[in-house]
Amino acid sequence: MRELTDAVRGEVVRLTRTRLALWTLVAAAACGGLLTALVALTGPENATPPMPGMDTSEGVSGVLSLLGATLFVPALIGTMAITGEFRHRTVATTFLAVPRRGRVLVAKLVAYGGLGLAYGLGMGLFAVAGIYAGTSARGIVPGLGFEAILDTAMRYGVAAAIYMVLGVGIGAVARHQLIAIGITLGYFYFAENLVMILPGANIVYPFLPGGATSALTGATQLLEMVAAETGVSGPVVQAPVVGAVVLLGYALAASALAAAVSLRRDVV
Amino acid sequence: MSAEPVGMAAKGSAVLRGPTLRTEGLVKSFGPMPALTRVDLVARPGRVTGFIGPNGAGKSTTLRILTGLARADQGYATIDAVPYAALSRPARVLGVVGDLAGAHPGMTARGHLQTQAALIGVPGDRVDQVLEESGLHTAARRRIRGFSTGMRQRLALATALLGEPSGLILDEPTNGLDPSGIVWLRRLLRSFADAGGTVLVSSHVLTELQQVIDDLVLIEGGRTLWAGSLSEFVSDHASLEEAYLSMIEKEMACES
Repeated sequence: MRELTDAVRGEVVRLTRTRLALWTLVAAAACGGLLTALVALTGPENATPPMPGMDTSEGVSGVLSLLGATLFVPALIGTMAITGEFRHRTVATTFLAVPRRGRVLVAKLVAYGGLGLAYGLGMGLFAVAGIYAGTSARGIVPGLGFEAILDTAMRYGVAAAIYMVLGVGIGAVARHQLIAIGITLGYFYFAENLVMILPGANIVYPFLPGGATSALTGATQLLEMVAAETGVSGPVVQAPVVGAVVLLGYALAASALAAAVSLRRDVV
Repeated sequence: MSAEPVGMAAKGSAVLRGPTLRTEGLVKSFGPMPALTRVDLVARPGRVTGFIGPNGAGKSTTLRILTGLARADQGYATIDAVPYAALSRPARVLGVVGDLAGAHPGMTARGHLQTQAALIGVPGDRVDQVLEESGLHTAARRRIRGFSTGMRQRLALATALLGEPSGLILDEPTNGLDPSGIVWLRRLLRSFADAGGTVLVSSHVLTELQQVIDDLVLIEGGRTLWAGSLSEFVSDHASLEEAYLSMIEKEMACES
């Protein structure tokens, strides 16, 4: 147990000795505050096609749902936990210090889980601040109350934290930074969107990462839009807790696969 | 750089109980390419054992297997009869200098050592000791990407000594070191072994190696060609280098 505690402490120290933690905070501010403030300031009603304005609940929910499009950022940060070790060839030094590789992975999952929570909390709070900054600059009262905005923003924050842990698992499986980035972006921006338009996909979609994210965040706009366009039956959305458990399940499955296969390979 | 070798200062009375490093019948292939066909090696406490052979002979592969970074297809590699990965506190038993690029370029030397100290569970003040004694204290706040090869080597040595181990494995440790660094390293290895520690060192710089080793293991083509004391190996030759070249030439003549 002491060895695992040391390994976690080492990973936390590692995080604080590079600029990754600082860049993570910057990314949380950009993805949370900057994005929402800009859209609130320019007004979704001025977009093409026009969207509901910030003085409506749909408008505010729509702007908050943009946070979902930035969830690849914490996932990519998570992939760097292990791929960065292979890229900079520090993995041998790490494995010499902690030769049980599963223990290294668990330590990284814990450390990046903490960083993910900090990212999610920061992103959520920056998003709330961004919405109020953007609307107050235009003299508009947001169409959703403070508690509802905070609740939605924090759901995205929790999703961001889980995505960072999921990224650690993907990175551990891929080992190569570019491959991990390709898997992450390719899945979330191509493969999953493809699955959504397949007939009968609404049966499995709730158990895919995107569907689980929708369940966790309560964002069903995209699912409803796809349903309307394709004529397939409406989206099935699980309870938020189930969504979180499904996402964590993917992270653990990827980590287990990495511990059993990819991390066992020789370090050359 | 401190006149007193790292580790010795911290250990005070300088009595070490070095582990016995052993490989028996190591076989390893990378795809269809055999890297090791049979490597037998023993490095004992209180001795500096040189590990030599031509490029591609399998030295680094053997050391990687011994330190758990690679798996053998056959045979075994142990530290006091236990595989490296099964040691509960490996960095406190064995310090390893393997790869120059073993530190994140964006970290400072201090940051790298603090990370390693936390990973192996040694107190933070040990970081200042190894920085001082490896001569890196003035560069402690510099990022590693700006380090010369010699400074990286010193950092690798400082990392290996963090856990105050009783055994050392060093793969080409003199790479990039300046003359004072080489002398410091020679003194370190000698005093480490004299105090009871185990040292296994691989190097191509045979003139330097001859000054510090007691025993020798020579491998060629992935198998052990000779193992024993330095004096036996050099025997009636003028130097280690001459004895080595003579044996390698004989071996190549036999193969052809």
